[in-house]
Amino acid sequence: MFLKPKIIFIFFTVFIVFIVSVLGGALGAGFGFGFLGGPLPFISIAAETIFHISNPISYDLKNSTVMLWISIALLIFLSWLATRNMKEIPSGLQNIFELIYQFFMDTADEAGGKKARRFLPVVVTIFLGVLAFNWLGILPGVGSIGKIETIEEWVHHHSHSGHCAEISHDSKSDAIMSELCVLEEEHDHGFVVFDRVGSLNLMPLGRGEAKRAPLSAIGGYKVEDIEKIKKKIENGSTPENVEELVIIQKNIHDGKVVELYENESDGTLSPKTYLGKNTGELIPFFRGASTDVNTTLAIAIFSMFAIQFWGFSSLGLKGYGGKFINFSHGPLNAFVGILELFGEFAKTISFTFRLFGNMFAGEIVLISMGFLLPLIGMIPFMGLELFVGVIQAIIFSMLTLVFGVMAVTAHSEHEEHD
Amino acid sequence: MASEWQPIGAGLAMGLGAVGSGIGIGMLANGALQSLGRNPEARGPIQQNMILAIAFTEAIAIYALVVAILILFVL
Repeated sequence: MFLKPKIIFIFFTVFIVFIVSVLGGALGAGFGFGFLGGPLPFISIAAETIFHISNPISYDLKNSTVMLWISIALLIFLSWLATRNMKEIPSGLQNIFELIYQFFMDTADEAGGKKARRFLPVVVTIFLGVLAFNWLGILPGVGSIGKIETIEEWVHHHSHSGHCAEISHDSKSDAIMSELCVLEEEHDHGFVVFDRVGSLNLMPLGRGEAKRAPLSAIGGYKVEDIEKIKKKIENGSTPENVEELVIIQKNIHDGKVVELYENESDGTLSPKTYLGKNTGELIPFFRGASTDVNTTLAIAIFSMFAIQFWGFSSLGLKGYGGKFINFSHGPLNAFVGILELFGEFAKTISFTFRLFGNMFAGEIVLISMGFLLPLIGMIPFMGLELFVGVIQAIIFSMLTLVFGVMAVTAHSEHEEHD
Repeated sequence: MASEWQPIGAGLAMGLGAVGSGIGIGMLANGALQSLGRNPEARGPIQQNMILAIAFTEAIAIYALVVAILILFVL
C-alpha cells in the first residue's frame, strides 16, 4: 500500500528538497555551497518604528501595534462569522468556538465550581487574543516584508540614541560631532546589500553574512580620517568647509557601497559587484504582537486588575484586603501578608516575561533555522512554534482562572477544607 | 558598553538558569507519572496541574533567557 508510485515520488521530492535546503543554508556554506542563505537579520528586542507623527502629538507607530490591530480585527471578524446565524446543533466555525468555550467551562468547573464561571469571559478573551497574537506572528512575511531605513536615517537615529547622544545637540557643530562619534564607533556595523529588481529591493540570496557591507565602506572613510575631521572642527573650521566631511556625508546620503572592503571572516576582499549597490537596514512592517514586551505587559496588567477586582467584589474590602495587610494575627502573619502583596506584583512580571520570552525566543529560533536550513528544513520548527503558541495561550488564560479562584477563596474557607 | 566577556556572561546566565528549571521539570514529571500510575482515573486533573506547574518552573528558565538576550543585544 505504501509503495504506490505517487507516494514514492512525493517521498523522493521531499528528500531532494531537504538535501538542497541543507546544502543551501549556512551548514552548506561551510563546504562551499550556501546559495540560499540570506544575511542574518539584526535582532531587535524593541519593536521598530515604521511611521512617525510629530504633529499634533509625538507618536511612533510600531510594527507590533499594526499586527495587534490586524489580530483584533481578525478575531472580531471570526466571532461575527461564527455567531451570525447560530444553530441549536452547531457546525463549522460555531462548533470550534463552542469547543473552546466548553473546554474552559469544564476547567473552570473543575477548578472552582460554578462560581468560577463568572471568570470565563475574561479568561476566554485572553486565550483567543494571545492565541491570535502568537499564531499571526509566525506567518510568512511577518518580519521579512518592510521598508528600508537608509544609512543617513540610521546615522541620524543613532546620533540621537545610544551613548553618542551624550554630546549635546545645541549647535550645529555639536550635532556634527555626535554624528562623527557614530561614524567612529560603528564603523564596522554591517548593512545589508540589497539586490535591486525593478523598483523592489530584495534580500540577497547567497553566502549569508558575506552580504553585509560595513559602514566605513559605504561612507568611504577610515577611522583615522574621522579623528582628523574632529580636530579640524575643534580648531574652528565650519563643517561645510571640511572637504572630507562633505564627501562622507554625500556618500552616506547616496547609501551605496563606494569602497572595496575586507571580509571579516576570511580577510578576502569582497567582489566588485557590491560597488554602487543599495544598502540599508530592513524595518519590517509586521512583527508578532506578542514578541513585543509592551503587549504582554498590557495583557498581564489587565489580567491582574481583573483578578483584584474579583477578589474585592466577592470578599469585600476587609476580607480581600486582609489577605495582604493583616496585623491582628501576630507578626508572622503580617509578614506573610506583605509577601503576598509582593507576590501579586511578581505574578504580573512573570506573566509578562513568560509570554514574551517564549514568543521572542521562538522568533529567534525560526530566524536561525531559516538561516541554517532554508526551504523545508525549518517547517518542523514552525510546527513547534504553533504548539508553543497554543500552550502559552492556554497557560496565560488558565493561570488567570486559577489566580481568580484563589482570590475569591477566603482564608477561613481553606482551613475548613483541610 | 560592549565587552568581549558578553557572550560568556550570556552563556552562563542561560546555562545555569536552565539547570534549575530542567531539574524542576524532571521532578514534576516524575511525580505526575507516579501518581498517574497509582491512580489512572485522575488523568485529567493530574495532567492539567502538571502543565500549570511546568509553566511556573519553565518561567525561571525563560527569565534566564531574557537576561541572556539582554546581555547579548542591549547592554
